[in-house]
Parts: sequence; C-alpha cells; structure tokens
Amino acid sequence: MVPAVATTLSVRAPRGLLLHLLTFAVVLTAWTLVSASDVVSPAYLAPSPLEVWDAFVRANSYHPIGGGVDRVVRGEEGYFLWEHLVVSLRRIGIGLGIAVVVGVPLGLAMGLFRSFGALLGPYVDFLRSIPPLAYIGFLVAWFGIYDTSKVWLLVLAAFPPITLATINGVRGVREDQLNAVRTLGASQRQVITHVLLPATLPDILSGLRVAVGFAWTTVVAAELVNGLPGIGGLAYLSGTQNKIALSIACILVIGFTAIALDAVLRISEKTLAPWRGKA
Amino acid sequence: MSEPHDRSVVLSGVEHRFRARDGEVHALDRIDLALEPGEFLTLAGPSGCGKTTLLRLLAGFMEPSSGEITVGGRPVRGPGPERGVVFQQPTLFPWLDVRANVALGPRLRGAGKAERAATADRYLDLVGLHDVGHLRPYELSGGMQQRAQIARVLAADPDIVLMDEPYGALDALTRERLQDELLTLWRETGKTILFITHSVEEAVFLGTRVLVMSPRPGRIVLDEPARFSSDEAQVPPEELRALPAFTETVARVRGAIQHVEPPPRRAG
Repeated sequence: MVPAVATTLSVRAPRGLLLHLLTFAVVLTAWTLVSASDVVSPAYLAPSPLEVWDAFVRANSYHPIGGGVDRVVRGEEGYFLWEHLVVSLRRIGIGLGIAVVVGVPLGLAMGLFRSFGALLGPYVDFLRSIPPLAYIGFLVAWFGIYDTSKVWLLVLAAFPPITLATINGVRGVREDQLNAVRTLGASQRQVITHVLLPATLPDILSGLRVAVGFAWTTVVAAELVNGLPGIGGLAYLSGTQNKIALSIACILVIGFTAIALDAVLRISEKTLAPWRGKA
Repeated sequence: MSEPHDRSVVLSGVEHRFRARDGEVHALDRIDLALEPGEFLTLAGPSGCGKTTLLRLLAGFMEPSSGEITVGGRPVRGPGPERGVVFQQPTLFPWLDVRANVALGPRLRGAGKAERAATADRYLDLVGLHDVGHLRPYELSGGMQQRAQIARVLAADPDIVLMDEPYGALDALTRERLQDELLTLWRETGKTILFITHSVEEAVFLGTRVLVMSPRPGRIVLDEPARFSSDEAQVPPEELRALPAFTETVARVRGAIQHVEPPPRRAG
C-alpha cells in the first residue's frame, strides 16, 4: 500500500539516507543488467532506465515523430506527460471535493443522530465494500464516456471512507467535552463548530488519506476507457502500442505522485491536528 | 443581565434512579438542600455514593427522576453558563492553546478581542499560568491542566462553580498548593462553590459547610458548618490543620462517613 512505501521513504538519519541511495543504486543496476541481457526479447520489451528517462523527456517536450518524417509533435497524444498527470489529478480533486462536501456532513449527522446513523449505516457499508470499478459500466451508460462518469466513480470511491471516518470521529468525542463547552455558555451551533468539528478533524483527515489512495487507484483504472488525456489512460495505451519505455515512465510517475500526495496529507495532518495521539 | 443576583440553588426532594446492566440503581434518595450565594460547600462520602450524580444533576447534564432543582428560582433544564463545572479529568480542548481555552467562555458569548485578551491574562495570572499560555494543554502537567481548567471556568464568570474531585488524581504537595490557591480565588471572587472530594481533611479544610453523603441510595447524613477556610485570622494552613477544632471536625466527619460505610464484603 501507498502509506507503507511512503514511510520507508521518509528518511531521518543520514545513515538511513545512505542505505536508501545504496538500495536505489542496486535496483537501477539490476534493472540495467536485465534489460541489457537477453532474458527478455525482443529488446524493446525491456527498456533500460536510460530509455525510460528518454521516453519521459520526449513525452514532456515537442519532438520529431521519427521514422524519417519531419513532423514535430507535442508530447504524447497531443499533450505533455505532465498535462496528462494534471488532468488525472484534476479529476481526483473534483471527485474528492464532492466526496468531502457530501461525506463529512453525512458522517456528522450519522454520528450525532444514532437512529439516523443506524438507518443509513448499512448502505454506506455496502457502498464501501464494492470495488468502485464495478460501477463504471452503468456510470458510462448514465453519464456518458466523458469526465462526468469518471468523477462520479471517484465520488463513489472516496465518500464511504470519509463518511465512516467522520462517524467514528463523532462517536469518539468525549461526552464531557461537549458538556464542558455547554457550561461555558455554548449554543447548540457553537457546540458543533467549537468542539465537535475540531475534535473530529483528525479522523476526517485520516479518512481523507484513505480516500485519496482509493481515488488514485480508481482514476488510473477508470481511464482505461476513453482516458486520454490522463496518466492512467496513457500508461495503458502506450503499453498496448508496445511503447514499453513510455508505459514504464507513466507507471513511475503514477507511483511517485501517489507517494507525494500521501506525504502532503500526512504533513497537513501534523500541522492541522498536532494533538493527535496526545490528548 | 441586570436581574437581581439571587443565585441560591435549591434542591427539593431530588431523587435519581438509572438503569444499569444489573438492574435499576437507586442513586439518590430525596435530597433537600439549599446553597446560599458565596458558600463554599464540600461534599464527602464513600465512593459510589452518588456525589458525582448529584453534581451532574446540578450541572444539568441529566434530569432527576423526581424532585426539582432551581437556581435563582428557575428550574434547571440543562447546562448553563451560570453553573461552571470543573471536571475530575481536565477537559481542556487540545486544538486550542491554554490561553484560548481560558478565553473560550468570553469568546462564546461574543466578547471582543481586547476583552478576551484581558480576561485570559487576568485568569492565567490568577492561577499562575501566564508563562505557559501559548502551550497546548497536553504539554502541561496534570496539576497545571487542572489549574488551567479552573481558570477557564472562572473566566466564563459563573455564579456557581461545581467541582468534581478536581484534585483526586494529584500528588499530595500539588494538591495542598492548589487547595490554598482555590481558597484565595474563592475569597477574591465570592463565587458559590460545591466541591466534591473523598478526602475528609480536604472537605473540612476548604468548606464553610461540610456535607456527608450515605452510600446508595445517597442521602445527606451530616450537614455541618466549618469555618476554617473563612477564618479572618488566616492561620497558615499547616498550623490550621493542627488546630484541635480542625481535628475534632475531621473526626466528626470521618465518624459520619464510617458510620454509614458499607460492610467491607460489598464492592465499593
């Protein structure tokens, strides 16, 4: 899983850094040796790290189409690789945004009003237990093959973890914290804004981290259908077209982006809820 | 706001029962009690006798099964800012620093920035925490957290302060220092205080009136004036604790508790 990878990459001591560099060098060397050998043939199926780097650079620049033709093209499939990435990230951003706007209030309501939570709980559990990609067929039938169906898919993938984490957070709020703020003169609304929401924030942020992981895997898979521009779509298409170096470049970009996203969320968790685990 | 400050608290025929796993628990049995404004009432009794239940009823966290509680003639219908509560476990909010915790009461009632800052300063000074206002509650020791909680309650300016064994978890030295501090605060602010404790010495030392409660169902079995805390002579605490009058009262209160203490085979 993404968080595990991110943890191994978080480097503290210089000695740790050295070990990481060493490991990385070993991996690169092994990769170069395999691609140089005849283990995999034809050779283009096993590009070397350098070839992957070249494919990465080409995909981010104007470059001649090759094969003796003079035409110069923009990146891959008309977009630079980073543009493919931005399109995928944008889809995630919108999907997650909607999931937060729907999931947090829903979780608050389900956590606050037990009977309401008991009533809707099974449905949220049900939605969570379904692999999001199972919806893609009927979402395409409903919303077409463009972005709408992909965003819907991301909302469906992201809102159950957010809602469940919010419910969990609300139920974990100590009764006396609510009582305390009431005896300080808080109105019903102030109880929610001054205690319930901040007390639930750490759980909402953890839910968000899980949701981002879900959404990222889902968007890449969702782009198998009419996914261009999109980093997942490009990874898939280039693979089917035997552009293995480009495909691997895309995969590396996907992996590193996921790690970076998680790192950003972990940092914001620490800045926004520094009391987590301490109080 | 300008109504006369009749803030006497009256409990008439208050009874409380609640459901537990092993059937109904009769927690309180017809309590009749009046707290006069400015009184420092201490309530002692064996653990599990319903002291905390009584406090939570007064705070408005729950309603009595029967009987009525009034504050200034008005029935209690829920928590209110005129009744501050100091909990056994400090319930400071970790998302606010100590200062913002103390200033929360004024903030909730819409006080301006300057007033909030002045109030926070005043009460942080009062409990000796002005140096740590910028820290988060979890960065303080247990005693400091309890002082911060007391400052927060006082800053909200309640007429009545309900304290539920606030010093129960503290070491003896911290406890004695906080007792002295609390007396100073009480003399300066003139609040009505109800202070629950399981320590007889603490009850006698602090209270102007000491109450003892029986085991379940809780009843008031001793209601006795004690004037050590309000003594004009202001004897130093160590000497006060050695006074014959003090030890006599302690013995009497202890006697009342032991007289009603359940036989040892029963779980406390």
